Amino acid sequence: MNRSAISLTVNGAATTLEAEPRTHLADLLRGGMLLTGTHLGCEHGVCGACTVELDGAPARSCITHAGACDGASVRTIEGFAEDAVMAALRAAFTAEHALQCGYCTPGMLITARDVVLRLPEADEARVREEMAGNLCRCTGYRGIVRAVLRVLEQRRSAAAVA
Amino acid sequence: MTSPQGVRAQGVGASLLRKEDARFLHGRGRYVADITLPGMLEVAFLRSPVAHARLLGMTKPEGAAERVFTFADLDGVGHIRAVSGLPGFRISEQPVLATDKLRHVGEAIAACVAPSRACAEDLVAACVLDYEELPVVSDMLSAGLPGTALVHEHWSQNAFLETTRQDDLSELDAIAAAKVTRRLRTSRQCMAPLEGRGVLVEWDPRLEQLIVTTSTQMPHVSRTGLAEILGLDEGQVRVIAPDVGGGFGYKGILLPEEVVCAHLAIRLGRPVRWIEDRLEHLTANANCREHHYIVTAWADAGGRLLGAEVDATVDAGAYSSYPFGACLEAAQIGSIFPGPYTLPKFSFRTVSACTNKPPILPYRGVARTGVCYALETTMDALARKLGISATAIRLANLVPPEAMPYRNLVGKVFDSGDYPEALRRAMASVDLAGIRARQAAGECVGFGLAVFCEQGAHGTSVYAGWGVPIVPGFEQATARFSPDGVLEIRTGVHSHGQGMETTLAQVAHEVLGVETARVRVVHGDTALTPYSTGTWGSRGAVMAGGAVAEACRLLGERALAIGAALLQAEPGAVELSGGAIRRRDGGAAVTLAEIARTWYRQPQNLARDVDKGGLEVIAGYRPDPDTGTHSYACHAVTLRVDRDTGEVAIEDYLVVEDGGTLLNPMIVDGQVLGGVAQGIGTALYEEMPFDAAGQPLAGSLADYLLPGATEVPDIRLDHMETPSPWTRFGQKGIGESGAIGPPAAIVNAINDALHRFGAEVLDLPATPARVLAALEAAR
Repeated sequence: MNRSAISLTVNGAATTLEAEPRTHLADLLRGGMLLTGTHLGCEHGVCGACTVELDGAPARSCITHAGACDGASVRTIEGFAEDAVMAALRAAFTAEHALQCGYCTPGMLITARDVVLRLPEADEARVREEMAGNLCRCTGYRGIVRAVLRVLEQRRSAAAVA
Repeated sequence: MTSPQGVRAQGVGASLLRKEDARFLHGRGRYVADITLPGMLEVAFLRSPVAHARLLGMTKPEGAAERVFTFADLDGVGHIRAVSGLPGFRISEQPVLATDKLRHVGEAIAACVAPSRACAEDLVAACVLDYEELPVVSDMLSAGLPGTALVHEHWSQNAFLETTRQDDLSELDAIAAAKVTRRLRTSRQCMAPLEGRGVLVEWDPRLEQLIVTTSTQMPHVSRTGLAEILGLDEGQVRVIAPDVGGGFGYKGILLPEEVVCAHLAIRLGRPVRWIEDRLEHLTANANCREHHYIVTAWADAGGRLLGAEVDATVDAGAYSSYPFGACLEAAQIGSIFPGPYTLPKFSFRTVSACTNKPPILPYRGVARTGVCYALETTMDALARKLGISATAIRLANLVPPEAMPYRNLVGKVFDSGDYPEALRRAMASVDLAGIRARQAAGECVGFGLAVFCEQGAHGTSVYAGWGVPIVPGFEQATARFSPDGVLEIRTGVHSHGQGMETTLAQVAHEVLGVETARVRVVHGDTALTPYSTGTWGSRGAVMAGGAVAEACRLLGERALAIGAALLQAEPGAVELSGGAIRRRDGGAAVTLAEIARTWYRQPQNLARDVDKGGLEVIAGYRPDPDTGTHSYACHAVTLRVDRDTGEVAIEDYLVVEDGGTLLNPMIVDGQVLGGVAQGIGTALYEEMPFDAAGQPLAGSLADYLLPGATEVPDIRLDHMETPSPWTRFGQKGIGESGAIGPPAAIVNAINDALHRFGAEVLDLPATPARVLAALEAAR
């Protein structure tokens, strides 16, 4: 099958990859770039395990055509090393026992970071609604919701002090 | 270790944060699909499009003869046989690729091999299948009727097994104050861990060994099964379970796909990988549950049960899966049904029906979820008929604490606990009067209970009676110091969410005092760990926890002898505490790390009569008696039913549970919460329907509905802690508990809300359509 070149910025680095037209973004990241922190759960855009940041917003990489990402900027779970919000979420996820098998965790964190930044006043009901597109089969969500609320509260406290 | 403040910081009982979290939070978990090898080929399977047919042939795509493999191409590969020792069991032979017959939609027919999965799927699409359809056995209740087509033609009927027990119930009609009969049904489900199955196999020509990296809960059992079917000795098979993205029972079986990939890796001399996609998961493989019950129960005016009669059928699908077999659910119903109650008389008949559906596989709660549903909804029906409360009828029948340990009428032995207290604590935490007031005001709200106990970590004596291919014996663990004093624990169970890299380190710390940061827990590799039947049956904390404690105790004795010599003291004059061997008189001490350095690197300082076994110990553990621990719980649910849409909204979910001594309370909470979420799925959402032609009707997670953060409430947990008298620390198996109670408690609450309208829900899941149908039927 024909392969075509796709140029995109991944985790801050510009790169060009060859892929079949039918390739989805998750396979491109996992296969071509060895970024295996992006997980595939359903390949239907339902479970959210494959969530990455695409041009600044969360996106389902399993139903995103790789070819449609030419010129785009993508950030995967491996690309948040310097990010303070992600660091706070990681600490909160551990403290609230918000992960067990770890498979949903990367997608969950990327969605959670978007919620924290976009909805600083979100309450529990809103957090649950916003996180409803990311399925977890292990935790029953309590720890996840509490972790997101913990980071929201930390940021509101910090803002109040400032 | 108890700190000066009396707070257990790292040992048994501490809510230590998990050691394994960091890699997952950074996307550095390593699951099967994350691993590639040079020259690796990917496999896609051609699968049966029909439920029952005679397979006449398959034409391979032109030029693909060496890339498409049918059973005829697999030299020397056997069938999967999981034989139960129970009398009357009918044996199925599951070909790893279909031979002459197709017995369920999704059954693998051919393996197509290509450099990428997409190209392998192209090959699948180009295969031409020739088959002749046969009448489909899609209904478990009519599967046994005369004249029905046979799934296995050499059988006399479509049933793997029937079990019975007959008590004399003839006088109960005359003496009972109430008698109820209910016909109840639970749906076929899919376990749906977020990671499906997957396997990567390579053949190491130097070692003449298969290296099988697979998403499994039981690497040692997989190894035994693979070796048997492939005709290899077990030393030629090494099974590695890397990070596994949830199991829930689905990864506690050997799949035909694993066998095929193993064979192809040898044959092709290249690494071969198959990664299950969600369509395969839902429609071909991950099927479970599907029970039907007719329950009759009798009680006196005070609510005391006089007897029960159960006719249960489980749709076991087409084959008996390795190792647990086709009767895993049905054959347990008879022994589980009496529940936590003192039932005096009991008759049952159970049937493991054979149908043209994928084989039934274990799922968290195995059999108990359906049984709890049948029993607890029947208890509520009895209470309503008698005009007494759901609490009163349960208090009249629960095994009282003074009767512990208690042997019930079918021989189950409950180890310890105060079952009525769990119920009383739940009721004290619920505003039942407020709910009744809302009902009186016309609100369609309801309250429901489920009380149950869960046998876990049951061992040799129980499983030997079932005659399954694996009978767990002494659970083993290795404890050893490396030269730098790091303690390494090697265990044959596997951790795939349970946090055992943390809890087993806590157990080691409890015994030896080594900081948990300096304890490495190694699991998931048959080459590195002692044999274990693996992680299933709520056995990890009890069995592996006990084995690790025993190995550490013996390692401590070795260290103590070396330490005493280094301190120039008699062994009786020293003790192990705080990770060091110390003189009892408060004098000198030598750390375990120094002892390790001495053994490995400065052996000139060892005493002449030192134990030559050194600082590595393998130890076995089995509770005595090994009839299992019984954790127990009361689930109490308050919910609202929308009478116009049939939708159910949970307002409050309370769990009062007793898992004995908790090794790590935070992790136990996580297990219970996750189980409840799955139970809510069973109760309200999850269903794999089949049509009359045996076609599965839910092919994606948009059709097979899993509960999300908006469906699962902020569950309240309350712990009791009654130690088991039979386990190392008093811990009980509780990993499945959460998933057992929700369908019963939720449907009891729904029926409490609908009772005033004369409606009753009987079948799971209680979807809006079923709730509306119940209301409609009552009009």
